[in-house]
Amino acid sequence: MITRIFAFVERDLRKFMRNPLTIFSSICLPIVYLLVLGNSFQGSLKNLPLGLVDLDHGPYAKRMIERIRSLEVGPDTVEMRMMRDSGEAEAQVRSGQLKGALIIPPDFSKAVFRGTTPQVGLIVDNTDSVSAAALQQALRAAFSALKLDAVSVRPNRVVPQIRSMELYRKVDYDASIVPGAVIMAIFMGTMTTGAFNLVMDRFLGVHESYLSTPLTKGELVLGIIISGVFVTTLIALVVLGVGIWLTDLRVAAGVSSFLAVVMVIALSAMGLLSMMCVFLARVDHPRIVGLFGGFLNIIFFFPSGAVYPIESFPAWLRAFSKVNPESYAVHALRSILFKGMNWQAVQADLLFLSGFMGLMLLLSTLTFKRTL
Amino acid sequence: MPKPAVVVENLVKHYGKQRAIDGINFDVAGGICFGSLGPNGAGKTTLIRILTGLIQPTQGRAWVAGFDVSQGPDAVRRAIGVVSQAMTTDLDLTARENLDIYARYYGVSYKERRRRIEALLERVGLTARANDLVASYSGGMRRRLEIARGLIHKPSILFLDEPTIGLDPQSRRVVWELLAQFRQDEQLTIFLTTHYMDEADFLCERIAIIDTGKIVVMDTPSELKKGIPGGNIVEIVLAQDQSLTEDRRLDTLISKLSSRPFVQQVIQKEGGALTDSIRLQVYVTNGPEAIPILMGMVQDEGFGLQSIGLMRPSLEDVFIHYTGRSIRAEEGQKVNFFIGAGVPRRMGG
Ligand SMILES: Nc1ncnc2c1ncn2[C@@H]1O[C@H](COP(=O)(O)OP(=O)(O)O)[C@@H](O)[C@H]1O
Ligand SMILES: [Mg+2]
Repeated sequence: MITRIFAFVERDLRKFMRNPLTIFSSICLPIVYLLVLGNSFQGSLKNLPLGLVDLDHGPYAKRMIERIRSLEVGPDTVEMRMMRDSGEAEAQVRSGQLKGALIIPPDFSKAVFRGTTPQVGLIVDNTDSVSAAALQQALRAAFSALKLDAVSVRPNRVVPQIRSMELYRKVDYDASIVPGAVIMAIFMGTMTTGAFNLVMDRFLGVHESYLSTPLTKGELVLGIIISGVFVTTLIALVVLGVGIWLTDLRVAAGVSSFLAVVMVIALSAMGLLSMMCVFLARVDHPRIVGLFGGFLNIIFFFPSGAVYPIESFPAWLRAFSKVNPESYAVHALRSILFKGMNWQAVQADLLFLSGFMGLMLLLSTLTFKRTL
Repeated sequence: MPKPAVVVENLVKHYGKQRAIDGINFDVAGGICFGSLGPNGAGKTTLIRILTGLIQPTQGRAWVAGFDVSQGPDAVRRAIGVVSQAMTTDLDLTARENLDIYARYYGVSYKERRRRIEALLERVGLTARANDLVASYSGGMRRRLEIARGLIHKPSILFLDEPTIGLDPQSRRVVWELLAQFRQDEQLTIFLTTHYMDEADFLCERIAIIDTGKIVVMDTPSELKKGIPGGNIVEIVLAQDQSLTEDRRLDTLISKLSSRPFVQQVIQKEGGALTDSIRLQVYVTNGPEAIPILMGMVQDEGFGLQSIGLMRPSLEDVFIHYTGRSIRAEEGQKVNFFIGAGVPRRMGG
């Protein structure tokens, strides 16, 4: 039985090795992804063009502008453009040249001085809700500081202060998505090996040859998955290595953390490969694999917490994350890479991944079509 | 008598409403070469796939090498070798790798594998190219490799589905010789399907002509040919003539010929390989007697006669006789009357 499985595994591996372009792409694409995603989402938004129309010219308007300027040079949130005419500012927001325009009304300083609530107009392009929210948040912060300055008549006001205690060394955003890139590599691996080979064999009619040999269902399924796991794990480890090197991530090195990483990767790959075997049990055209691949990638990847924290999802998506194997893989990889090896922290993840793999392996053997 | 290698009982396979196999019964004696001959879509591939355990029949039973294909597919698989219609060797593996991996599916031991692979490569003439990727092979080479692969585990029955389809005449010839040789050396039973008359005639001791999922007739090639009514076919080749294109004159001739009591059937064949002359095959009760009469009739109708002569019936004629149409009509190919008639039989019964 073992000889037969390994003959099948060897066939897949040899065929894979003869396709250098596939190997090359499987390694490069997740890395490109890491670079693109790491540099396009830097956690907070930057350089949002903001128009500023000062109709007041009073002292508080000046302070307001200074505040915003400090936003510009500090966290780089906005890029301020002074303008004279509120009509023109609005037009530029509409045309997309500006993400927002702040209009300081003529009686602004007077209102602050009198202690009445001062009104500032903010025109935002709320079709770009991410930028609009970031602008509103930044400006509100600037504005509330101004108000505190202005209403300094109550000296004993207690303002709760938050001092955060950082538990771990800070991880840059691009380094923090290295686990995501590894998951991406695993996913791509499971799409280009395993069940994909089976679909290609069916498409080319080559499967007829091994279906007429004594290979059993279980041997075929295991053969497909073992070759896939082997290739996928290697690719994912290479991507992890390159990712660590590119982002200058300091990982907790050590044999046990390496073993744990390999285990997480191999278990995830096995689970996903078996799952693809179930989904593609009757598929005989590579186009379907392409369709499925694109779809499943998004479905599993984004709710996995690789890019955004799971906690901020709506309830139904959080529920899905609970059964998404990629969430557990991401969690485990993050724990091991960023927080140091601790079996207890990844126990639940390993348990889930093993359970998922077992279930999918069973289903894939049950659904496998041994006839033409 | 050796026990039958293949037994088929009331076999039926439906694809939706389509009856690909429509109630078939036959036996194949051990040690012979059995051919299932039929046009495209007759159900040959379906039949071979049922026998090799690749698809389940809708009804009926089949035993191969003594095992029920539905009950003991594994035992059947170990006893048989399969060369399917489509080429199924892996293009991005070498010939040797293809053979080695396949042998391991059957659990052939390392030592035995090495010996067997070299011997088979030698026999099919691929030793020099054994380490080249199959992607670089010609169709004929790949087919030879598939035959070697089908024999890697020393099966007792070899199934081949259209083994020479798509090959050039020389390659076909090589495949025939190989199969004849292997059959002798390995004491094989061969079950093949084909839509080539000459192939069935050359290789097979028994032929089942199958059409639309049914066995039309089954016998030895010579008995099949004898079975043609009258046993005599006169071939008339009309001389090239402008007016030949006038179908009405030809139709008149054909209907006049057909109306004679000693004429059973008249079949018109479009020209030969080189000319656009018209051939008529006239099935008669007594050839030698009919020839002068037919000659007179042709001349009376004002046709020039290029040649007239007696023809030995070919399997093609057998097929036409039993099904009422040419086996290769679907392919739109012209029929050469010498097929079957001129090919020496290499394999005595
Ligand atoms: N998988 C299938 N689904 C539906 N119809 C099929 C299938 N395979 C074969 N057929 C039909 O069954 C008939 C017999 O096909 P096949 O056995 O391939 O014929 P042959 O090999 O003699 O050319 C054909 O009409 C074909 O269209
Ligand atoms: Mg066929």
